[in-house]
Amino acid sequence: MASIMNSLYNMRLLDDLSQKDTFVHRLHPLVKLLATVVYLTVVVSFGRYEISSLLVFLFYPVLIFAFAEIPVVPILKRLFIIEPLIIGIGILNPIFDHQFITFYGIEFSRGWVTLFSIIIKSGLTVTSALLLVATTGMDKLSGAMRMLKIPRIFIMQLLLTYRYITVMMEEVARTLRAYSLRAPNQKGIHRSAWGSLAGQLILRTFDRAQRIYQSMCLRGYTGEYNIGRQSPMNLYDLLYLTVWCLFFIIARIYNIPFIIGSFVTGGI
Amino acid sequence: MHMADALISPAVGGAMWAATGVVAVYSIKKIQDDLDDKKVPLMGVMGAFVFAAQMINFAIPATGSSGHIGGGLLLAILLGPYAGFLAMSSVLLIQALFFGDGGLLAFGCNVFNLGFYTCFIAYPFIYKRLINKGITAKRIFTASMISTLIGLQLGAFSVVIETLLSGKTELPFITFVMLMQPIHLAIGFVEGLVSAAVITFVWKERPEILENASMGVAIGNVSIKKVFIGFAIAVILIGGVFSLFASSNPDGLEWSMYKTAGKTELEASTRIHDILSTIQSKTAFLPDYDFKTNESEIVTSTDIGTSTSGLVGGALTLILLAFIGFGINVIKRRNKLSVK
Amino acid sequence: MSHHKLEVKDLNFMYPDGHKAINGISFCIHHGESVGIVGANGAGKSTLLMLIMGILFPTKGQVLIGDVKVTKSTLPMIRQRLGMVFQDPDDQLFMTTVYDDVAFGPRNYKLDEDEVHERVIEALELVGIAHLKDRAPFKLSGGEKRVAAMATVLSMQPDVLIMDEPTSSLDPKSRRRIMNILKGFDHTKIITSHDLDMIFDICHRVIVIKDGGIAADGITSEILSDSKLMDLCGLEVPLALQNCPCCRAKKS
Ligand SMILES: Nc1ncnc2c1ncn2[C@@H]1O[C@H](COP(=O)(O)OP(=O)(O)OP(=O)(O)O)[C@@H](O)[C@H]1O
Ligand SMILES: [Mg+2]
Repeated sequence: MASIMNSLYNMRLLDDLSQKDTFVHRLHPLVKLLATVVYLTVVVSFGRYEISSLLVFLFYPVLIFAFAEIPVVPILKRLFIIEPLIIGIGILNPIFDHQFITFYGIEFSRGWVTLFSIIIKSGLTVTSALLLVATTGMDKLSGAMRMLKIPRIFIMQLLLTYRYITVMMEEVARTLRAYSLRAPNQKGIHRSAWGSLAGQLILRTFDRAQRIYQSMCLRGYTGEYNIGRQSPMNLYDLLYLTVWCLFFIIARIYNIPFIIGSFVTGGI
Repeated sequence: MHMADALISPAVGGAMWAATGVVAVYSIKKIQDDLDDKKVPLMGVMGAFVFAAQMINFAIPATGSSGHIGGGLLLAILLGPYAGFLAMSSVLLIQALFFGDGGLLAFGCNVFNLGFYTCFIAYPFIYKRLINKGITAKRIFTASMISTLIGLQLGAFSVVIETLLSGKTELPFITFVMLMQPIHLAIGFVEGLVSAAVITFVWKERPEILENASMGVAIGNVSIKKVFIGFAIAVILIGGVFSLFASSNPDGLEWSMYKTAGKTELEASTRIHDILSTIQSKTAFLPDYDFKTNESEIVTSTDIGTSTSGLVGGALTLILLAFIGFGINVIKRRNKLSVK
Repeated sequence: MSHHKLEVKDLNFMYPDGHKAINGISFCIHHGESVGIVGANGAGKSTLLMLIMGILFPTKGQVLIGDVKVTKSTLPMIRQRLGMVFQDPDDQLFMTTVYDDVAFGPRNYKLDEDEVHERVIEALELVGIAHLKDRAPFKLSGGEKRVAAMATVLSMQPDVLIMDEPTSSLDPKSRRRIMNILKGFDHTKIITSHDLDMIFDICHRVIVIKDGGIAADGITSEILSDSKLMDLCGLEVPLALQNCPCCRAKKS
């Protein structure tokens, strides 16, 4: 129940945010998608003992947060919900990796370094994916996918899933509410109602799909899904993509925090 | 058991994307050949249903714990394997985009782990085989239980393999397997129970739904062969990519950009490089860049090896970041005020 | 104007489970008429509309739009001329934004994108929600959804507008808004509803359905004020026609 409300809130929030009008929002969706993919690939390409080189990659989310006027707290909240799942696997590292690295007399457990690296990486990757949606929105994102030649059938049903998630979640929430009102003090659905509760929902889902199909047919649907024109990319879009990609690649090759640090420590 | 971006390497992510892409394109082709345009809205809404239904807690008698339905098998049974696979992909894509559950790079892994094994292995080779003799409540129970268990076991094993091949963690293979498989055996048992109850209900109330799904698009009568070919292609693809990386990079399959990046850096004679090398030589107590991918050297050559500079630089980077982020915010707010 | 006529001849329909939902219905609706279809729950109103739209096909009898019979092969042509608004707007708004939803029909008829845009804006302005065009459907209120669903049909510029319970579960203001919008159309209108006051307000003609057959067909004010007939068909005389509840005085 609480999780349904949370999810509904989350989808609504991201959709609200994607309606904003900032220069990041106005960028071509394909450019944002590609930049995100390059970003993710580069971040993920770092080895398991990397930490400081990864810090530079914070620039990307921070700048987008700032320029797109995306509130930080709700996105971070989402991140903290996800993080335990990732740490779940990451935590095995300090448990199983007992090798120590000695450096200048300080002992580091490799496992903890790995875990820390995973946490940073997951923070960066999850945030950037959420920011992509928060600055683009599902409809424009699907337009970008169209430009990547992803088949219409897939996009159509993806959009339908997205559209009906809220409807279905509300339906599930109503059903659960009705159930819990008549079965107080139960943690979950009792065995006797397993089949009928979820089964009824499935049958209603089928009926709804039937009605949606009818309403599509009445408006001339013949299996072909027509999406409107795509706006072309302009110079700004290309510039945005190029600048970020260059930055990512440079930051991948050179350890920028290290260089900054060397300047400072070496200069003094 | 969603794989996260942070746990995979680009090579593994890319290979699984390719494999998933092959299966998806094939599935789309199958659906288009069927010319059943009713399927599209049904796939969409059923995907949404699975999404929502995963939030229903089914109390497991006498244990105090609860479980939920898994998506893959249910979708395969209700929509047929091809449409089920595609519907599962959309569910996972939306989870990755809106909820950060599994990432965009790991999307291929997740679709494969949660969609492929259920729709193209567990469903046709176990569920359908067991149900073929005619549907009864008992057969539904056995079939959904066994196919859920097997689907999940395959998926869990796949997670282990993908994680290990990615080399982002340092877990002994056996330990990891011994952890993952039993956990998913328990999860699978619960899922199997719930799925059986749900499918039995649907079968009793509206038997035509199950019949429609398994008829026209049945794997059994047309294309076991083709699925096998698809699977073989996927395996070869994955295997090929993996072995490529494995051979070029003996250490846990780090991405070879590591290597190439190192080389280009060493060979480059641009001005930036010159400047950088002077910096490096100035700070002589720090080891030079070394991209040799030898275990012990990796450690000393990257972060920890650059302790002081790393720390100072890292801290400065963070401060700079906070400053920039804060600055843009303030400027934006001022601009807004002045507009008003 | 014979091509704008809608004629139903001896219509019969049986659901696959053997339930006979429509038994020999015949009527003719002319251009510009607004007709209310009323009847108790389960009388067969929705089924009748689906037969007219060609979502279901009759077991006996026929539906003629102009001089064209509704069959599988004439459907694309028929559906361009009839627009139907469903009872649950969530079934009709299946795209991610209101704009795309309203554009869905015109795009399917392969209009070029400029004309699609024109039609979408026109339809949205007609129902007064041009400002909601970029909203996601799940962020609309019930009333807004209903109106948006109407726009999705209007953008196809149909000759006949068919609506299944347009005012159910709406608050009084939203209901009034829908009624005003409906009054503003000079389309042929066919409206089913349990909201008899609304029917009384909008439709000049009423067809009463009972157990899948026609119980009455005639001028709205005459039929809806016939309390015996209303009672027999599981309905009530609309409030607007009842005596004043305080002083029992007859309304003019
Ligand atoms: N899919 C179906 N299969 C079998 N019987 C059905 C089906 N749909 C409707 N019926 C039956 O057909 C009859 C007419 O149903 P219909 O939906 O047309 O009624 P209605 O007049 O629209 O009622 P309401 O005012 O409640 O909307 C009802 O008795 C109903 O039970
Ligand atoms: Mg009805």
